[in-house]
Amino acid sequence: MTETMAADAPFAVSVRGVNMVFDGVHAVRDATFDLEKGRFLTILGPSGSGKTTLLRMIAGFGRPTSGEVFINGLAVGSVPPHKRSIGMVFQKLALFPHMTAAENVAFPLKMRRFDARSIPDRVQRYLDLVKLGKLGDRRIHELSGGQQQRVAIARALVFEPDLLLLDEPLAALDRKLREEMQLEFRRIQRELDVTTINVTHDQREALVVSDEIIVMDHGRIQQKARPEATYRQPKNAFVANFIGVTNFIEGAVASIDGEKIVFDRPGFAGRVGNGFRPAAGAAARGALRAEQIRIGSGREALGDVDTIFDGTVTDAIFEGERVVYEVSVKDLGETPLRVFDHDPVTHNQHDIGSSVALGWNVKDVLVFGD
Amino acid sequence: MRPSRTSYPLSWRLMDALEAIAAAVWPRSFSAAVPWLMLLPAVVLVGLLVLGLWDMADGSFRTLDTATFLPSDDYSLTNYHRAFTEKLFFTVASRSLIGSLIVTAVTLIFAFPYSYVMVRTRSTVLRKFLLIALFLPFFIGQVVRAYGWLIILGSQGMVNEALGLVGVSPIRLLYNYPAVLFGLVQYMLPFAVLMLAPALTAIPEEMESAAGSLGANWVRTFIHVVLPLAKPGFIGAGLVVMTLSLTDFAIPAILGGGSQDFIANAIYDQFFRTSDQGMGATLALLLVAVGSIMVGVVFALFGAGTLAIGRSK
Ligand SMILES: Nc1ncnc2c1ncn2[C@@H]1O[C@H](COP(=O)(O)OP(=O)(O)OP(=O)(O)O)[C@@H](O)[C@H]1O
Ligand SMILES: [Mg+2]
Repeated sequence: MTETMAADAPFAVSVRGVNMVFDGVHAVRDATFDLEKGRFLTILGPSGSGKTTLLRMIAGFGRPTSGEVFINGLAVGSVPPHKRSIGMVFQKLALFPHMTAAENVAFPLKMRRFDARSIPDRVQRYLDLVKLGKLGDRRIHELSGGQQQRVAIARALVFEPDLLLLDEPLAALDRKLREEMQLEFRRIQRELDVTTINVTHDQREALVVSDEIIVMDHGRIQQKARPEATYRQPKNAFVANFIGVTNFIEGAVASIDGEKIVFDRPGFAGRVGNGFRPAAGAAARGALRAEQIRIGSGREALGDVDTIFDGTVTDAIFEGERVVYEVSVKDLGETPLRVFDHDPVTHNQHDIGSSVALGWNVKDVLVFGD
Repeated sequence: MRPSRTSYPLSWRLMDALEAIAAAVWPRSFSAAVPWLMLLPAVVLVGLLVLGLWDMADGSFRTLDTATFLPSDDYSLTNYHRAFTEKLFFTVASRSLIGSLIVTAVTLIFAFPYSYVMVRTRSTVLRKFLLIALFLPFFIGQVVRAYGWLIILGSQGMVNEALGLVGVSPIRLLYNYPAVLFGLVQYMLPFAVLMLAPALTAIPEEMESAAGSLGANWVRTFIHVVLPLAKPGFIGAGLVVMTLSLTDFAIPAILGGGSQDFIANAIYDQFFRTSDQGMGATLALLLVAVGSIMVGVVFALFGAGTLAIGRSK
């Protein structure tokens, strides 16, 4: 019973073949995806990849050049923003400086003609929710950056919109506050169970807060998947490179053995990534994450791995909880490999210039054609 | 080989010479005084104005001796008494005051959409067109423009001729109060637009998008967000329009045809027709006082708007 309900219930948001062209600039290309109710989706991509443009079209600012956006199953192409039930937190917050924090939060209630008697209580409830209960009478410029973020969130949520849109509202905060606010978003989103689309170019934020991640590049959706899948099964080299620290080893295909692709570099092989099935001789690149490489002063120190190469440490950066090495491996091309060493027990530092052995497993090398 | 002559161009040599002269006339050790020296011309100008005012204050207490046509030697408040009691002055003063208020209100209403479109339009062509249309009147000058209105609105002007074609007998469009106010609004519009535009530019467009996503249609966005945020611009523009139209001379003179005098026209008459310099000075000082009070009241009520000066806090 519930299953048929779920299947019949329309998606909170459906985007179908949406394009946006600004005189010559193709900002969003053929975007198509669905988002279920109550989910937290993050759109992740480099600067200029079309994230804001896509979000603004969902909010109703700027009509798609082609394609259609559906909210709760209804096409909203001709519905202006103020008639959509969408709360949006803008990149620069856009709080009203001539109002107090509480007035800012009350504003959407007044605009949406909520019963005047119910407004003060409701405003207070949402100020409490974002932990600003006592600061309602402050003017915006009397609040700290993090407090302003909270006002913006309360203002976007107070009228219980069907959809919450966040356009990198945390980008301007320092790292500690940003991480705190990310968890705060997650808590509020769970508490209210509101469908949320968040835009960011911070991959960590995307992994931490999201149910699902869309990776965009050059206006195109590269992959939509759960955070773990985005990380472990990137669909192409772009996604692999954008999320996490990834080494790319360039080469040509020597032979293919089922899922295993053997390179023309002796001893180096990988696993088919995203159905890439090249002919022998085709150019290919193996993607290998920095944390999937083990490092040791000799081969015997590496333990159970099926691929081993010798190299020389060219750089070692102490980052606290880990050491980042750059290791030049003669047999794998010019670019040194980046290796994370999380070894809080032995504190074995490898000095710059020392010879080391690197080891990993073939199944962790994803092979792409592009 | 000789180095190329352009490696040290003539203009640089000239600059060197000028700098050498400057250094001789104005030793480097005086350089701390330079900023103050640059302020000097402005200080002198304002100082002269104050001197003039002082002179007029002196004159305002002397009555005209009708026998000799010279100001009296003794001081009295007669001129001030006349200014406050004679009906003519009351009529002129209230006409100017009410006129300037009406002109201010109407001008601001017209100027707002103009600057809004100018600031917000995505079309650079339209923006350039609006800017040029704004500056064109400045090149023409006030008197010429007023004469232009005579040509258009006169009893044999274009409007009346057009009306004649459809069988309407000529209407008196000029030499009345509305004509003067109309001329003033038209004259003030560019000033108001120029004062409003920076205030509107300072409102982030995202502010309006935010209001939209929060449920405000454009009317309510305008009332609750744009208008309050543009307040400094309205105050600045309002003050400039109000003071300029309160003290205007040419438009009441030309479009009013002598029947619609403003304070400045009355002052002119006292100085150059009746030759009653004392009375002219009195009216002038009263005008300064009224203008200052109006500005003061606006400052006190709303703050100084875009005219506020000093480092922002
Ligand atoms: N109004 C516009 N007119 C013309 N081009 C635009 C407009 N808005 C965006 N673009 C272009 O569209 C592309 C995508 O812009 P968008 O703002 O969506 O990027 P973004 O992914 O949000 O980037 P960022 O992370 O820097 O915010 C960019 O190349 C941008 O220059
Ligand atoms: Mg953006």
